[in-house]
Amino acid sequence: MDVFLQVLANGIMLGGLFAIVSVGLTLIFGIVKVVNFAHGEFLMIGMYLTYLAVTGLGMHPFAALILVVPVLFLMGALTQRLLIQPLLAAGDHHIQIFATVGLSTALINLALLVFGADIANTPPHGLRMPVEIGPVRVLVGQVVILGVAAALVGALQLFLARTRTGRAIRAVAQNRAAAELMGIDVDRLYALTFGIGAACVGTAAVLIAPLYPTSPNSGTYFVLIAFVVVVLGGLGSIRGAFAGAILIGLIDSFTGFYVSSDMREVAVFGVFLAILILRPSGLFGRQLRQSHVSP
Amino acid sequence: MTRAPEEQTMTNIPPAGAHAAGSAASARRNLAAPTALAILLAALVVIPTAIGNPFVYHVFITICVFAGLSTAWNIVGGYAGQLSLGHGIFYGIGAYCGVILVGVGVSPWIGMFAGAGIAIIVAVVISYPCFRLHGPFFSLATIAFLEVFRVLALHFREVTGGATGLMIPLKFGWAWMLFRERLPLLAIAFGLLLVTLGVAWWMRGHRIGFQLIATRERESAARAAGVDTVRVRLAAVSVSGGLTAMIGTFHAMYLTFIEPAAMFSLTLSIQIAMFALIGGIGTVFGPLLGAMLLVPITELARGWLGASALGLHGLVYGVVLMLVVLFLPNGLMGLLARYTRPRAAPRATPGPTAPAAPRAERPPVGEDVVRVEGLQKRFGGLHVTNDVGFSLREGEILGLIGPNGAGKTTVFNMLSGFLKPDAGCVSVRAPDGTWRDPGSPGDFAAIGVGRTFQIVQPFAAMTVEENIMVGAFHRSADVGEARAVARETAERMGLAPWLDAEARDLTIGGLKRLEVARVMAMRPRVLLLDEVMAGINQTDVRRAIDLMLSIRDTGVSIIAIEHVMQAVMALSDRVIVLSSGQIIAQGRPQEVVRDPTVVEAYLGKEFLHAHA
Repeated sequence: MDVFLQVLANGIMLGGLFAIVSVGLTLIFGIVKVVNFAHGEFLMIGMYLTYLAVTGLGMHPFAALILVVPVLFLMGALTQRLLIQPLLAAGDHHIQIFATVGLSTALINLALLVFGADIANTPPHGLRMPVEIGPVRVLVGQVVILGVAAALVGALQLFLARTRTGRAIRAVAQNRAAAELMGIDVDRLYALTFGIGAACVGTAAVLIAPLYPTSPNSGTYFVLIAFVVVVLGGLGSIRGAFAGAILIGLIDSFTGFYVSSDMREVAVFGVFLAILILRPSGLFGRQLRQSHVSP
Repeated sequence: MTRAPEEQTMTNIPPAGAHAAGSAASARRNLAAPTALAILLAALVVIPTAIGNPFVYHVFITICVFAGLSTAWNIVGGYAGQLSLGHGIFYGIGAYCGVILVGVGVSPWIGMFAGAGIAIIVAVVISYPCFRLHGPFFSLATIAFLEVFRVLALHFREVTGGATGLMIPLKFGWAWMLFRERLPLLAIAFGLLLVTLGVAWWMRGHRIGFQLIATRERESAARAAGVDTVRVRLAAVSVSGGLTAMIGTFHAMYLTFIEPAAMFSLTLSIQIAMFALIGGIGTVFGPLLGAMLLVPITELARGWLGASALGLHGLVYGVVLMLVVLFLPNGLMGLLARYTRPRAAPRATPGPTAPAAPRAERPPVGEDVVRVEGLQKRFGGLHVTNDVGFSLREGEILGLIGPNGAGKTTVFNMLSGFLKPDAGCVSVRAPDGTWRDPGSPGDFAAIGVGRTFQIVQPFAAMTVEENIMVGAFHRSADVGEARAVARETAERMGLAPWLDAEARDLTIGGLKRLEVARVMAMRPRVLLLDEVMAGINQTDVRRAIDLMLSIRDTGVSIIAIEHVMQAVMALSDRVIVLSSGQIIAQGRPQEVVRDPTVVEAYLGKEFLHAHA
């Protein structure tokens, strides 16, 4: 029983990790409707920045937030302005996919040139200390990640639901042309959304860096999982993504323990494919109703 | 209702002289392109043999391999428009199949085909459920499959050797595809490239290529034109997967060592797609150009700079990819086309030719060809079709009118297989006199029911001629015959001057005519026309009426949804009026328009009372 609870706790903690990485991607995917393959590289760059801040400036990892979050916000907004914006008019998904794949490839290799292939370990400052909660042991850093992920989801929900800008962002997501006709500056909102999405992943990077090794390829694994989570949660649904992340964390953890540790990815991607094919609107997404559309 | 005048008719007619200049240039182009291609291909063999340096050989063998992989990818990613980022699956299957079979004493020449066979099966099995996914979702699914394959290859280490990989046994000679010298390897790589290019080139010029591109551009229009979109896409992934696997087998023998991370690799899959994009996605020779340009960058960076430049070539790739996407979305081939091809100019003197040949005697109206009984359709709470039933007789024109939202297009969608009715049925009489109940758009097309779309659905990237050919291919698989039918149809529709123009360059009037031309090229027995006259000017309406009468006189039965009352009155033998999903009146046009229920449906009760 204790083992079961431990596996469950590990799954939830892993879910928190996936959630915090995916929140930003959900926002970008759901609103700008662009598949950002470079999302993982944003994470990787955030992790390197955290590493540099902690080792170079001797900051506490959490203090690195004030550096990493603005830098990533800027990166996101610039990516939208310079790379995605010119391609939106084309309306061709191929082109947008290639654009972010190109960005991803360039960033991975830039990191390889600058930092080399070696692994960078950010000093944990006590975040790798275990805490005992009842019968289970988890790391301090993991609990922080889960808490921050939940808080971030709540904050974004509030922002989108209650503020004027949030409402405008939702309107743009529903119908870009109509929003534009209502006087909303769509380009500015897209850049803002992309920036917020990147800032979210920056937050994730700061929290993840002390727990996981950083390398140029750190982002690749996370970005695939993040896409799984986003699709599972239903496009653009932030709460859905959170639930999806926890679910994927549990599947990962239970498969790893009860089946075989090297079959975890097969289970996760298997679930992903099944959802994608059988229920493309996601587990928690609402079906788009289009009653009368000429085929 | 008012539209800008230039939208209503095709007025963009360049001077007649453009024709002569265009044909001289095109003659030069006809020679220039194959010559350039032959020089490029010859260079792939001549340069390394002349230099004789093993490293140069290696670079050119790698170019051949990646150009081949990219060309094979392009059949799915370019022609069919399905952006696969999981082609490493097929490459890996070919590689593992070849190496494992060599281990038990089977020649890679046989292993190559075994790998291709397995790759084809895998391609069909994984692609079939993925076809309902569009855009990025398809790409994500292919990546997920790739990851699954990689992990499985790591897991089943008894077969694959797991993470430690597999070495091939060193047995030399042609039978084992292993040589001490480099020339035979280059010959095999080059041969595989030629085969792949040949297949890609053949496909592009034949029915399957047209159907693939039509499916990519507008799936619903392709289905209406009788294209079995699932079948052609499965054919494309099979060919592409098979060729990729064969090249994979060779590459494994060339590398002499394979491991899951390198074979089922996302980076490799992305690279393959990237070369095609940079060269020119969807073109026959673009992937070759892309690979020839980019592979040397990688290999030279690796060979000259070694470990110190780790990541340099990847950085260049990524930046080049972003720049191409931003500034050269049609790739190198697009750039070449911009400088070599004159803008598609009309071939003939201006002015759409009047289509109406002197009309033959109208054949008598025959027996029923279509019977519609008790059709019901609900969208959620909305009852859009309520017990609609009627019949269409041979050689008759039936007008279908009704206010906006009456459910006319929904009825059409059920008459052509795009929507399944909740209840009721649509029967069509086959040429042999038996009655059938077709289900899918393909069934309807096969039995001779053709339709147009209210919102025009051209295959935008294809020329007018190619658009019409897609319809003509419904009757004949022969390219020459389809082209002849397309030209003849274009002539009849007054589209002849625009045969070489891309469909996206036509005005709305031209696109409407193109819709009709495409469906006419299918030689349908029953024609469903959805508002073909909306938004075109008076002269064109007159011409369209003549055209429809001449179509009718060849024995085709027509159902026309139309708002242009002049046309409805002049054309229809009978008129059916639909309102809120129900038939409220039917009969001869003159009677129907005076029917008080009809007037009420269009103009409301108040109008009726005011005039009472």
